[in-house]
Amino acid sequence: MMNNRDLTFHGLAIKRHSTAAVIAEHIGLPAPDVEDILREAVQSGRAVFARDAYTINALARLSLEARYSRYFLELRSDAAFVQPYEQFELINKNLKQVITDWQTIDVGGSKVPNEHNDKDYDADIIDRLGAVHEQVETILQRLAQKIPRLAVYERKLLKALELVEDGEIEWVSDIRRESYHTVWFELHEDLLRIMGRQREE
Amino acid sequence: MKKIPLDFDRYERPVTSPLVEATLSLIQDRVRQKMADGKLTKIIADGDHPHGLITKDDLEQIEKTILDSGYRYTWSAGISVEERPEIYQQEGVDSGQDFAFDHPEAITEDVDAEGRRLSGFGDNVVRYPQNIKGIARYIRTNARVLEYLTNGVPPNTIAVIDDSGGTLTAPIIEYFSGVICAGGTVRSHLGILTREYGIPCVMNAKISGIKDGDVVEIESSAAAKTAEDYQANTSRVAKVWRLSENNNDE
Repeated sequence: MMNNRDLTFHGLAIKRHSTAAVIAEHIGLPAPDVEDILREAVQSGRAVFARDAYTINALARLSLEARYSRYFLELRSDAAFVQPYEQFELINKNLKQVITDWQTIDVGGSKVPNEHNDKDYDADIIDRLGAVHEQVETILQRLAQKIPRLAVYERKLLKALELVEDGEIEWVSDIRRESYHTVWFELHEDLLRIMGRQREE
Repeated sequence: MKKIPLDFDRYERPVTSPLVEATLSLIQDRVRQKMADGKLTKIIADGDHPHGLITKDDLEQIEKTILDSGYRYTWSAGISVEERPEIYQQEGVDSGQDFAFDHPEAITEDVDAEGRRLSGFGDNVVRYPQNIKGIARYIRTNARVLEYLTNGVPPNTIAVIDDSGGTLTAPIIEYFSGVICAGGTVRSHLGILTREYGIPCVMNAKISGIKDGDVVEIESSAAAKTAEDYQANTSRVAKVWRLSENNNDE
């Protein structure tokens, strides 16, 4: 288990530019504790507070990444974690294609922004999103057996998917909320950090 | 795996200096890796410090990692800066005035009839009705992201970046007028983000000769590259032009 300070920095790195409350909720720590750690991080030059939100700076990010081996070195060669992680990387490609298809539509042979006027087109993609979700649920359950904190992603992905299926289509990929794609990206970032790997694209 | 002494929180507070903490964390990381690789065992058993625990090469790698993060050391004597200017903080070092991506496969041409100089190509993430013009600004360091986050992104900024995951620029992406990214594909996370914001963007850009402050135009009205294009290796590109040189106020 990461200590609270490293876990807070980890949450900050994943959430990138967020309030203490949002980070606290994501990593499962009390918000006042997270706020204290982040305030001190700003004072000591490890984070910046701008536009009402925190962001980590280069050296603190580097320190954090160097300390991951303290917590995850063993996990990185544990098949019970690595195998579902590799499966996630595979379906990540599908997810990115699903989101790209959601955002674009073919008009006269060219991909233009999808204005979501074609309900059948959208419904087909939401079905594909549901299929990806079934796969990621199983993967997340296996990953969470090793790191229980990761269960937060299963809850958030399911919430976004259910809202989408109820017709609130902003929950597919809107950036200003914890849409399906936002949560997925953060999950990927979390896993890459645990595994000590770099994002390929 | 056995817990090693350096993995315990022995002090109430971490070290004060972020640089010292980063250096220490990187040293400990290398020791852990050596332990895991079976190259070190003795130090843990009896506290002995064998030769090779941390070598000159380790320290050089650590320094490189710190510099690669964009960090530059503060200096106390001017002679240090004269000897190794590249590792110390200098006035205006982040403005990157002279830096330019120079892709070996960039196709460039002389100025055309409209006064535009072709400076390369990229993969258009989605087709828009019009091209976009703006001022090219390289955003490759954390310091610049923080500067823009604090003081705002200058208007009409076309961000020139090489981080296709959008990891560095995510907090400020929405303030860009356009994006030229040297890596990735139209399905990359950055492609998804820019489409969501309705910001014209080319990925996998092969450009040459565009400097910070130049006025540029992206052919965002070009056909978007599709999944089928990537599979079939079909070339389908959007042009990037330089319209005029450095337009920076400073």
